[in-house]
Amino acid sequence: MRVNGNLAVSAIAGVSLAVIAVALSVSGPAAVASSPKTPVAAHTSGYNPERNAYFGDLHVHTKLSFDAYIFNVRASPDDAYRFAKGERIGHASGFDIRLAGGPLDFAAVTDHSEFIGAMEQANTPGTAISKVPGVSALFSSDPVEIGKAFAKFLGTMRDDSTPKAFKDPAIHARAWKEIREAAARNYAPGRFTTFVGYEFTSAPDGRNLHRNVIFKSADVPDLPYSSRESADPEELWKRMETWRAKGVEALAIPHNSNGSDGTMFETTRFNGAPMDRVYADLRRRNEPLVEITQIKGTSETHPSLSPNDEWAGFEIFETYIGSNKPVTKFAGGYVRDALKTGLLLQEKKGFNPYRLGFIGSSDTHNAAPGSVEERNYVSKVGRSDGLPVLRGSVPPGGARTWNPPPTDPPKFQNWGASGLAGVWAEENTRESIYDALRRRETFATSGPRMRVRFFASYDFPSDLLTRSDTVRQAYAHGVPMGGDLMTSRGKAPSFLVWGLRDPNGGYLQRAQIVKGWIENGVAREKVYDVACSDGLAVNAKTGRCPDNGATVDLATCAPSRFQGDVELRTVWTDPNFDARQRAFYYVRVLENPSCRWSTWDALRNGTPPNPALSPTVMERAWSSPIWYDPKA
Amino acid sequence: MTLPPVARAILREPLTQFLLIGLVLFAVASVARDLRRPVVRIDEAELHQLVAYWEAQAQRPPTPDELRAMLSERIDEELLAREAVRLGLDREDLIIRRRLAQKMAFASEDLEPVPEPSEADLRAWYATHGMDHVAPATATFRHVFFSSDIQGAEARARAALSLPRPAEAGQPFVLPLSYSGVAVRDIERDYGPAFSRRVETAPEGQWIGPVKSAYGWHILRVERRVLAAAMPFESVRSDLADAWKADRRTQANQAFIRKLRARYRVEVAGMATPLAP
Repeated sequence: MRVNGNLAVSAIAGVSLAVIAVALSVSGPAAVASSPKTPVAAHTSGYNPERNAYFGDLHVHTKLSFDAYIFNVRASPDDAYRFAKGERIGHASGFDIRLAGGPLDFAAVTDHSEFIGAMEQANTPGTAISKVPGVSALFSSDPVEIGKAFAKFLGTMRDDSTPKAFKDPAIHARAWKEIREAAARNYAPGRFTTFVGYEFTSAPDGRNLHRNVIFKSADVPDLPYSSRESADPEELWKRMETWRAKGVEALAIPHNSNGSDGTMFETTRFNGAPMDRVYADLRRRNEPLVEITQIKGTSETHPSLSPNDEWAGFEIFETYIGSNKPVTKFAGGYVRDALKTGLLLQEKKGFNPYRLGFIGSSDTHNAAPGSVEERNYVSKVGRSDGLPVLRGSVPPGGARTWNPPPTDPPKFQNWGASGLAGVWAEENTRESIYDALRRRETFATSGPRMRVRFFASYDFPSDLLTRSDTVRQAYAHGVPMGGDLMTSRGKAPSFLVWGLRDPNGGYLQRAQIVKGWIENGVAREKVYDVACSDGLAVNAKTGRCPDNGATVDLATCAPSRFQGDVELRTVWTDPNFDARQRAFYYVRVLENPSCRWSTWDALRNGTPPNPALSPTVMERAWSSPIWYDPKA
Repeated sequence: MTLPPVARAILREPLTQFLLIGLVLFAVASVARDLRRPVVRIDEAELHQLVAYWEAQAQRPPTPDELRAMLSERIDEELLAREAVRLGLDREDLIIRRRLAQKMAFASEDLEPVPEPSEADLRAWYATHGMDHVAPATATFRHVFFSSDIQGAEARARAALSLPRPAEAGQPFVLPLSYSGVAVRDIERDYGPAFSRRVETAPEGQWIGPVKSAYGWHILRVERRVLAAAMPFESVRSDLADAWKADRRTQANQAFIRKLRARYRVEVAGMATPLAP
């Protein structure tokens, strides 16, 4: 049953109407149902009406990005897709790289649209651009000279004095064509999905407002809309609206809000004007998702914003992107805080621009989608950090010890091997995966291919966890991640939380629900442990799982055996539910501790890990939130 | 015209005549030498180009002074470059050698563009390289899951085999409990190699197990398997064309190199036949 209106609402026939999913509450292009699709047309072989988890990377740079080319990356969009499919490609530092965990299911090449393809042209003898004064220094044999020339080039980008030859639309069009053709060539419905995409690289005064634009199909504009046309993301969304009017469907995914110095999720518009409903609708229609984690840090939350969250300090990166300038404003730069801001805006102004689902992605500049495996990590900026000594994981100068102790400012050593996108989709096709992105039935992981299911309902069957059709029942009675709960008639909602380990990764330690809500006009948050491993029960007093005793042997990176679970599964009812309070809930599943990439590097080098870094990480997955709105 | 007697006397002097002849010879020789001096010429096209690049950078035309400076820089660069070539400084330079080799490689590709393959070319390519374009092995199967989080998973899996309806034993699972036409390599990725090998080898239509995976123990029943096979010609036509062209390009490049090798004798210190395979 589908009710159409300004609210694209769909409910599942034959079950209680107490729970229905409100999809995009603005009239978006894809009216999205929460129930699994009925199979109608011919499907690919993996088709599953209860949806499969597919893993991918929606943030990938190749040699066509101006910076990647300078980092000596020569791998093409085709190479990026080959890498995603599990093949071997060359790295800028002269060795081969390959995914250890097997092929990804989907990927999008998202090169910087600014001067796209121009560096390759600049390094091609005989082209006009190669003759521009100063250009040859960018391709010098002396890395110091390259560094100086590139710093100068970045300076010209900031004050818009880049040589005109770099702005030649014919060059950009050629690169854009290469990207489109590679996406078309490598798309194999049912086996591997590609998306045409690009990065909108806006960073006014160095504050990062970057977005990746992902197109639904091969119908794309002649050229990307880049930040050279406007640094204001609102202008990007307006351009996306005009594309949409012509049948070109796309969504934008902001990333590295941690480097925005509090500007990514402000309460005013870019131009300083107050937000209104029109703005909120425009933003939500075009930005249903946020990239919550990537190599340049995790933007879920900051310890200063979530002092009661013991796991908040995960792969935190506290400087501007591409500089040593410290971030001073964390509020407005982290996603949990943005979700709370959204609830407050909804409460006070009647609109919420920040109903964001989650994905992770790598931001590799090595054309290496999914290269976020701790033990198989090459960081992400080509020749600049391709070797352990360059990324601060082994002592400099061939030394065997860290004496004197490292005092480097935050840089590559503080980057994390993190960021995969998970989606729940019927099949591995562009249509199915894009629809999942649109309805926010997505999750993020810090690299491992952990699967996480999350549903909310007021009337799950009491035997939900033990029956063989758990997922079918969950869809029939509840809303999946990314959805909205209907108004409560007094009953507290229950949540199905179900995490499964990465078959090549560690074991799971605990599952948590992060709740944000509005109480007396103030946004609050709380982290609940909801499922513990090893048969342990949540301590009623502390609200935490007892320590399961899992450890890592730093000499071998081997985890302690027989700790942690294959899967964590529970139904949790919010003990503090108040039907009058606006709220969101999302899941965080934590693995046992395991060696951080920097420890793996040190182990292979036979030297101690960098003492300034955490030797271990707790890998994790985050589901998209489910929202609760009381009756207005 | 009459000359004073003194002048006439001087002109008649053999020394004077000798000096005059010498002077003329010197002038002629100087002019001749001057004509032989190599010329650095900035032609009109290059001049325009220089100005155009300058304008592209500065967004305005250069002043006469700026033009002079630009020209002087360009001429100095040319002089230095020529002198460097004259002295052979280009010969031992890695960057210059690579750049020249790259230019030559581009040039040779432009000399012989690869043609589009004919239907017959594609058929022939498919006949020899069809197995490069393979539909992967697939399986249709069901399985029953016993998580290793719970004690005795293997024993319970074994016991389930003797139940009248084994499919009703076991636990719910995040991954599907039945697969239709799934690629075996995806099963290997998601369950591990031990499990996928059993999917590949189990007799059809029969519950077997227990089988271990990354999650615990399973019993499984394979209904159908399809072996890996070459994709039908029509479905891979454009891939075949790409592969055929890439192959032609490689062959052309190799032929060009072979031709070059025939024109040169290659010597490497201490090796009798340096290019032997």
